[in-house]
Amino acid sequence: MLDATIQTKTAPKMQRSRGAARAGFDGARLVGLHQSGSAKAILPRVPGAPEVVFLNTSGGLTSGDRLSYETDLTGGARLVATTQAAERAYRADDGRAEVSVHHRVGAGCHLDWLPQETILFDRAKLSRDTVIELAPDASCLMLEAVVLGRIAMGERVRDLQFLDMRRIERVGRPVFIEPFALGSELLAKGARGAILGEARAFATLVLCAPGAEDAVDPVRAVLDEPGVEGAASGFDGKCVIRLLAEESWPMRRQILRLMETLRRGQQAPRVWQI
Amino acid sequence: MTTATTIITTMPDPTAPLALMQWLSPAFPTGAFAYSHGLEQAVAAGEVHDAESFAAWLEDVIELGAGWCDAVLLGCGLRGGDPDQLDAVARALAGSGERLRETVEQGTAFALAQAGLRGAEVPARALPVAVAEAARDLDLPAAQTVSLYLHAFASNLVSAAVRLVPLGQIAGQRVLGGQHERIAALAVRAEAAELADLASSAFRAEISAMQHETLDVRLFKT
Repeated sequence: MLDATIQTKTAPKMQRSRGAARAGFDGARLVGLHQSGSAKAILPRVPGAPEVVFLNTSGGLTSGDRLSYETDLTGGARLVATTQAAERAYRADDGRAEVSVHHRVGAGCHLDWLPQETILFDRAKLSRDTVIELAPDASCLMLEAVVLGRIAMGERVRDLQFLDMRRIERVGRPVFIEPFALGSELLAKGARGAILGEARAFATLVLCAPGAEDAVDPVRAVLDEPGVEGAASGFDGKCVIRLLAEESWPMRRQILRLMETLRRGQQAPRVWQI
Repeated sequence: MTTATTIITTMPDPTAPLALMQWLSPAFPTGAFAYSHGLEQAVAAGEVHDAESFAAWLEDVIELGAGWCDAVLLGCGLRGGDPDQLDAVARALAGSGERLRETVEQGTAFALAQAGLRGAEVPARALPVAVAEAARDLDLPAAQTVSLYLHAFASNLVSAAVRLVPLGQIAGQRVLGGQHERIAALAVRAEAAELADLASSAFRAEISAMQHETLDVRLFKT
């Protein structure tokens, strides 16, 4: 009989990383910049509204990692905040990684929170909490785009724990909540039912501003990127858009076109440009 | 020698389950029959085309979509959660215009009917919150209230599927019966659930609900 030599193959223990970055703007003036651990906040020179690009130098998220990004806007500041690269959540056998994103958008301010895609690898465990707090007359555009594995390389994600709480509040009152969750049991169901169908990439965009409902017609007019299924609804001071795609590139192209429409022709952040 | 012991028990009101059944029945004037929760779109798109594909869709909507979120809100409301706060959460959870309309219009009609039926002052709120406020008076186990609520939600969608797919009446009832175990288990979970337990994975269902807004021929409001 075969002598079973049990190979205890343990994944190389990755160092747990901690990172926190925060940027504050009063009008167009930078009033606070804090960075620690693996998180950085880069301020590229750009024409128009200031831009902050967050970066996780640890290269990806795994068990025990803690990452936090924050912005504080006052004095009518208009800020574009994004990330340098797609955030990767890797195999995590020792518990989940936790990401916290918190933006405070003060009176008369506007924030575009346009992080690049989050790529979830097989056996990833990621819990993320995104909160955007708006003052009574503040506004924001929020994007969350998620990709399951490197689709082009034929990777399949089977084992997953992903909790992604997206919340926008106006003066303490919730105005948008999307408590997105995806796990192994749901992925095992395959394309049937009402979860993701055949899609491996999906995104939600929310414009939350007075009169945001009016954006729905121009948005619908550009929701025709081949390979992407998208839909939009304008209601209650919001324009909400959801996208599904079998591949990530068509979704990225669609997001760029939506950004142009939702941001009235302003150029997309440089890191987003194809 | 015998000791006389007095056992004081509060007998459950035997009419309470009947009141709950009345409020959650299709005859109660909330207009539930007019809302398909995006099913009309899913049928038009060919995603739901027979009993099997309808059962898969229904199961996800109940367990991974608005069903579970409503169950959590109802559970919190029955335990005495602040209805104003829960109503704000319910509205913020509505992922599109028609979803918001579906829950607020039915909740408003439910409150009006409560006022007419028993003079109960129930403010117009999202449906699970309005039901929670009224059902507190019945003093029934929360799991019982949640399971009947989810059953009414499922049953309404079965009626819609029978018309839209179309399905035979018995085929529809078989799909509904097939959800009983799931509904009972969700109701037990919802009894102890907090707002932090809100979760939604039925992304396709959210897209269908949004696409329904631009569907050419519509029998249903959602």
